[in-house]
Amino acid sequence: MHSTWGWPAVESLHFLGLSLLIGTVGVFDLRMIGLAKGIPMSALHKLVPWGIGGYTLNVLTGAMFVTSAPDQYLFNPAFQTKLALMAIAGINVLVFYRVAFAAVKLAGADDSAQLAAKVAAVISLSCWIGVIVCGRLITVFRPPYYWCFWC
Amino acid sequence: MDYLLWLEATSFSIWMRESGVAFFSTLVFHSVAMGFVVGIHIAMNLRILGCAPGVPLSLMTRFFPVLWVNLVVVSISGAFLLASYPTKAFTNPVFYIKLAAVAAALFITWNLTKGVLRDPVHDTVRAPRRARVLAALSLLLWAGAITSGRLLAYTHNKLLASDPF
Repeated sequence: MHSTWGWPAVESLHFLGLSLLIGTVGVFDLRMIGLAKGIPMSALHKLVPWGIGGYTLNVLTGAMFVTSAPDQYLFNPAFQTKLALMAIAGINVLVFYRVAFAAVKLAGADDSAQLAAKVAAVISLSCWIGVIVCGRLITVFRPPYYWCFWC
Repeated sequence: MDYLLWLEATSFSIWMRESGVAFFSTLVFHSVAMGFVVGIHIAMNLRILGCAPGVPLSLMTRFFPVLWVNLVVVSISGAFLLASYPTKAFTNPVFYIKLAAVAAALFITWNLTKGVLRDPVHDTVRAPRRARVLAALSLLLWAGAITSGRLLAYTHNKLLASDPF
């Protein structure tokens, strides 16, 4: 990781993984929010495994960053916020599949998603955008030169 | 080098470098918007390649407003970043590789929009071979754009034209 090209190569994979997540889970969320009616939500959901692939890639590449320079991450408020948002997104996934997915799966091509699914979609999209923002800000809040209210 | 010296001495360029928030907030906008631009391309290309066949292909363009908005954000934030460190980018071949990859990928998108995405006949049948090749090429070009974009932070020879070394 500390070789000349190790870090930027893994960073590129990490960005590819987040694009996969936005392109599949994010696009599914956009449809539930109300964009692109005419596309059945159940059909669009078939892209989600690619997003899980992107997520897995990012957990692996993310772990490579953290284990290579733990002090730069564990004490970094941007990284801590990122983990918290990932936890919220994770709980949101569990609640979504338990509460709202059955109706989404049965909905017609032009149907709106039910309120529960819409709320889950807004939470999901907000969390993942927040995760990208925090990820990009990790380099700004490098310990020990930073400030935040809980630091 | 004269125009680079002039550009990096403009008050906007200095503000971008020295305000403390301008540069990093621009980077944040650039990253998030790039995630959406590449993401929506991934969805469209995966569908052309045969994934999620129940999605009517021609309706994928209904996500394009989100794509265009993010493309505008990417362009404006990119121009701001370029104005912050013009020498850093313009003297680095990798920067031109990134621009070429993005331009080629967008040309493919335009081509697909005029062709396979316009005709609802492709909604339920497999996309033609030509479209599938273009979709695969588009995915490779976006991966190249991401990689070269990330490398910009590591491969520059000169940060500012006014640097003495």
